[in-house]
Amino acid sequence: MNHRMLRLLLLAVIPGFLFPFSVKSQSGDTTESKISTAKIVLVQAVMCEDLLERIPQNPTTIFSIERRKAICFTSFDPVSEKTIIYHQWFHRDQTSAKIKLTLKSPRWSTYSSIQFRAEDIGPWRVEISDSQGHILDVLRFSITE
Amino acid sequence: MDKFIYLILSLRWQDIIDISLVSYILFRFYILFRGTNAFRVLIGMTILWFFQQIAVSMGLIVTSWVVQGVVTLGAFIIIVIFRNEIRTVLLARNLKSIFWGGPSKTVSSTIEIIVQSILDMARRNCGALIVLPGKEDLEEVIQKGIPWEGEISKEMILSIFWPDNPVHDGATIIQGDHIAQVSAILPLSRRDDLPSYYGTRHRAALGLAEATDALIIAVSEERGDVVAAQDSQLKVIKQKRRLGQILQQHMGVAAKKSRESIKERLMVIAAALFSIIFVTGVWFSVSKGFDTLATLEIPVVYMNRDPAMEIIRTSDNTVSLELEGSGALIKSINPDQIQVKLDLSKSKVGPNSFTITRESISLPPGIILKGLTPPVVDVDLDVLIKKELPVQIDWVGKLPDHFVLTEATIKPKKVEIIGGKRMLKKMSTIYTEKVPLNNLEDKGTITANLALNPASLKTASDSNEKVTITYATKLRDQETK
Repeated sequence: MNHRMLRLLLLAVIPGFLFPFSVKSQSGDTTESKISTAKIVLVQAVMCEDLLERIPQNPTTIFSIERRKAICFTSFDPVSEKTIIYHQWFHRDQTSAKIKLTLKSPRWSTYSSIQFRAEDIGPWRVEISDSQGHILDVLRFSITE
Repeated sequence: MDKFIYLILSLRWQDIIDISLVSYILFRFYILFRGTNAFRVLIGMTILWFFQQIAVSMGLIVTSWVVQGVVTLGAFIIIVIFRNEIRTVLLARNLKSIFWGGPSKTVSSTIEIIVQSILDMARRNCGALIVLPGKEDLEEVIQKGIPWEGEISKEMILSIFWPDNPVHDGATIIQGDHIAQVSAILPLSRRDDLPSYYGTRHRAALGLAEATDALIIAVSEERGDVVAAQDSQLKVIKQKRRLGQILQQHMGVAAKKSRESIKERLMVIAAALFSIIFVTGVWFSVSKGFDTLATLEIPVVYMNRDPAMEIIRTSDNTVSLELEGSGALIKSINPDQIQVKLDLSKSKVGPNSFTITRESISLPPGIILKGLTPPVVDVDLDVLIKKELPVQIDWVGKLPDHFVLTEATIKPKKVEIIGGKRMLKKMSTIYTEKVPLNNLEDKGTITANLALNPASLKTASDSNEKVTITYATKLRDQETK
């Protein structure tokens, strides 16, 4: 496992929120979003600069490298049973990290984040997939100067 | 000497044809245009050109510029000013005479004109008296007539002796190829043994023949016969050929003509030799001069590619050719004349290696390939497929710190891309070209081109290479930095 993966895994936090979110997803691929699997329904997926009291702050698709981090926030309702999902981060088409996150019944919110380095400038995407590998949503964003 | 023999032995059959062809063209040019003003100007231009070359070799910058300008302009001037002359030369000859044979004479000689005129007047019973002076001066013998100084022609002679012409009486004196005097009065012969049917015209002819060495031709008005008076004798001329002989003999034309003919032939032979020597010299100086090396970067042309396949990557798009040839040839090389072609007809999907052989390279005549880099070119080929890819904006620059981009939608969200199968298999997103953030307003719409990288990628015919981006920004909720 390389340093990047290790860094991302260390940064990935899995807090549980037991209330639904009203903020809409900022996904660029709406056709891929809100796909229900047998056990879970993704109700919100958003890239944001921070979380404040479990609420995504400043949802956006542009992150200045000076802000140091980006957060991929996802919320599921319902969650029929304990399961896992993945947040797979790509810089252009190269996988940067694949983060395993646990969801718990009856609904669950979770996020992963990345800390920026100078070479991370460019277009990124996060693929949110279930335990079977079905892509639930793709969030696209850019890290800029 | 050895070098000269080597040069001769190194001649190819193409070189012999080359020299022969250009020599003949130069020779024909001389044959067709000699004697014209255009030819004389052209000779002048050639001398100027040599002068310019000397000026260049001596480093006379301004002189060479000026002469070069004159020579360059001169080429146009010749065509413009002498266009009628050139057209006349070319139109007056049929195609065969342009490529073969000597110039045809369009003007009859003086003797032919005189003979034809005399016979014509004799046929019409038009009296005439023509004097062709010999070496002796006629001033003391004849009573001077009217100065004429007209170039000789049949029409001129006929009109002078036309009965209604005021000057038809008396003798016409022809000197060289022009009519010097008309209506001249000749001394009459006092001989009494002349036939009674000879009138004053014949007596005048004989009178001058007795006094000088001139040849006098008299045409009888009554009988239409032709009499030549020379050396105190009268000779009746009944044949055209005989009349011509007498005139030629008197004017010394036969010898003169023979001399002119020899001179003419010598001129033609000299021109032919000059053409061969000149062209051979130019040919050797251009193609076999001091060897010069040059290195040129030439793009590789990939040919006969299977239309179903696409070149994904090449190790080199140009090859560096090391060429050798004479300085003049190397200097005159246009890179477009050189081609490096690789045949892809036997290539397969995936990486291919092609060795660049001498047969792959086309060079101008006289240029030799000494080396090339790289000798092998790798070409990666792939089968073309279509794939629908989502479009993502490639933002660059920086938004003001207090703003956050809240919305950025792209239309169309996906485009169909055509490209190599292996290439597209690895691609899951097509990005736009760089879109600067710095100039964004609160909200708006901008267009951006797709970044089709590598260049072998292209959009399907029904897909646009441009996308429309609709965006919105807002003030940041709070500082989270």
